[in-house]
Amino acid sequence: MLTLEGVTRRFGGLTAVRAVELEVARGELLGIIGPNGAGKTTLFNVIAGYYRPQEGRVLFEGRDVTGRPPHEICRLGLTRTFQIVKPFGNLSVLDNVMIGSLTRVTSVRSARADADRVIEVCGLAPYAGARARALPIGLRKRLEVARALATRPRLLLLDEVMAGLNPAELAGMVALIRRLHAEGLTLIVIEHIMAAMMRLARRIVVLHHGEKIAEGTPAEVAADRRVIDAYLGEEFVLAEA
Amino acid sequence: MVAWYGGALLLFGAAALAPVAVRDAFLLDALVIMLLWGAASAAWNVAGGYAGQVSLGHAAFFGIGAYAAALAGARFGQSPWLGLLAGVALSLAAGGIIGYLSNRLRGPYFALSTIAFSQVLLIVASRWRGFTAGSEGIPVPFRPGFWTLGLGHVAWVYLALAVAVLYYGVQVYLERSRVGYQLAGVREDEDAAEALGIATRRLKVVAITLSAALTSVCGALWAQYVGFVDPFYVFSIDLSIRFALHTIIGGIGSALGPYLGAILITALETYLRATFSGVRTGFTGIYLIIYGTALIVVVRFLPEGLTGLLARLRRPRAAARVADRAHA
Repeated sequence: MLTLEGVTRRFGGLTAVRAVELEVARGELLGIIGPNGAGKTTLFNVIAGYYRPQEGRVLFEGRDVTGRPPHEICRLGLTRTFQIVKPFGNLSVLDNVMIGSLTRVTSVRSARADADRVIEVCGLAPYAGARARALPIGLRKRLEVARALATRPRLLLLDEVMAGLNPAELAGMVALIRRLHAEGLTLIVIEHIMAAMMRLARRIVVLHHGEKIAEGTPAEVAADRRVIDAYLGEEFVLAEA
Repeated sequence: MVAWYGGALLLFGAAALAPVAVRDAFLLDALVIMLLWGAASAAWNVAGGYAGQVSLGHAAFFGIGAYAAALAGARFGQSPWLGLLAGVALSLAAGGIIGYLSNRLRGPYFALSTIAFSQVLLIVASRWRGFTAGSEGIPVPFRPGFWTLGLGHVAWVYLALAVAVLYYGVQVYLERSRVGYQLAGVREDEDAAEALGIATRRLKVVAITLSAALTSVCGALWAQYVGFVDPFYVFSIDLSIRFALHTIIGGIGSALGPYLGAILITALETYLRATFSGVRTGFTGIYLIIYGTALIVVVRFLPEGLTGLLARLRRPRAAARVADRAHA
């Protein structure tokens, strides 16, 4: 469904993503992990059209989307969320989600019905009328997912939607991601915390200094010497998982 | 998003009845000016309020409209209506160009580029003697009749009212329609809007272009009503700020806000001018002090303007409930 061919993105002298190859199959839930500054978010920015890679190509459903603007990529069926959530702060939760729906439906009325359904799925129904900026972080992360879902993606990129959540919120988010995956959505999930990811993804890609250093099942990745070195001092996290 | 249909009905209804009840030319004159300023501020609101493209150069489009209407009569002996249409065409082009060029600029940088644009037009208008009559300005010939826009006070009230109501309708459309929601997304966060499939750059150009055309119509009518076009006034930063100020004081991003702001400021200004003119000329600039004070008060205490205040007065409990739920 998604293919990255030797994608490289540099910022001046710094190579944030180096020659990354990636293949994501339809219906898969792929995890991308790596320490801070490993290039995870940069990779998302390249896939979603925010950065043009200096080298390599991004293929979505067989189509070359390298360098296309983000809104076109979204309309093709690939939507991303932001690690630092970007809610439309002065608008209600419902309006936020409706703006996503309106990318697929032209009538405001059907967008509202559509948004209501997505809000229900994401457990935001009690807050539909609240201003987005009044929501606590756990709900804002949910809103970020809800808004992206409203654009009816076939591939959804989630950038650290579990970071900063308390244990109850985390469980809710994991359940939501599992449900979306079970319903047939293809997902790529970035997470800094490995424990949550180990339970969620069947296949994990590890980035370090912009390079892919390991790929495989959670167990394989956790046993990989280079991964353990990259996460030096976090071995206990792997052990726990 | 608050359209305030009841408030609008009251306001525009009162304006429609005013010529029946009031014969005083001074008051009717103030009403026409209020309605024109309200409409021009509503036009500014389309870009500044709904799309979040805060311009401080909208005098450029106002001036284009004013000059187009005035020159149509004074230079070409044509109807000012044709001038108005030419002004709209020019403003569409100018709005499209400035919107396109400043596409990547955000916030203060966009505002600065619009100021620069209006200043360029000021220089052109004040130096191009052969065509615009330069810094002397152009008197607009008065020829009675609708086609020549030589109207009495009562007719002007209804013409200005028609434009004001039309622009109110445009704003309500921008609150309720698909494109309105998308503009709100662009205003709140461009990156997020782009991620959700909105062609943010194109939408911004559309909003600025529409706003420019609407502003230009007000300029054309204003020129005909006042009867004289002075480049240092119609292209001034003062005027640009005025559109923004009316809207911010009234309630930015609300359909009724620009009219409330225009009425409040124009009424104060007219009253102060009438009261402090003549012998006590030391007070001629006092309305500027009022402007500044009003702006400070609004930004400090009413960041959402008069309509925001009305909303708070009307449903304080509902708002509190939502907030409680969100924090629960």
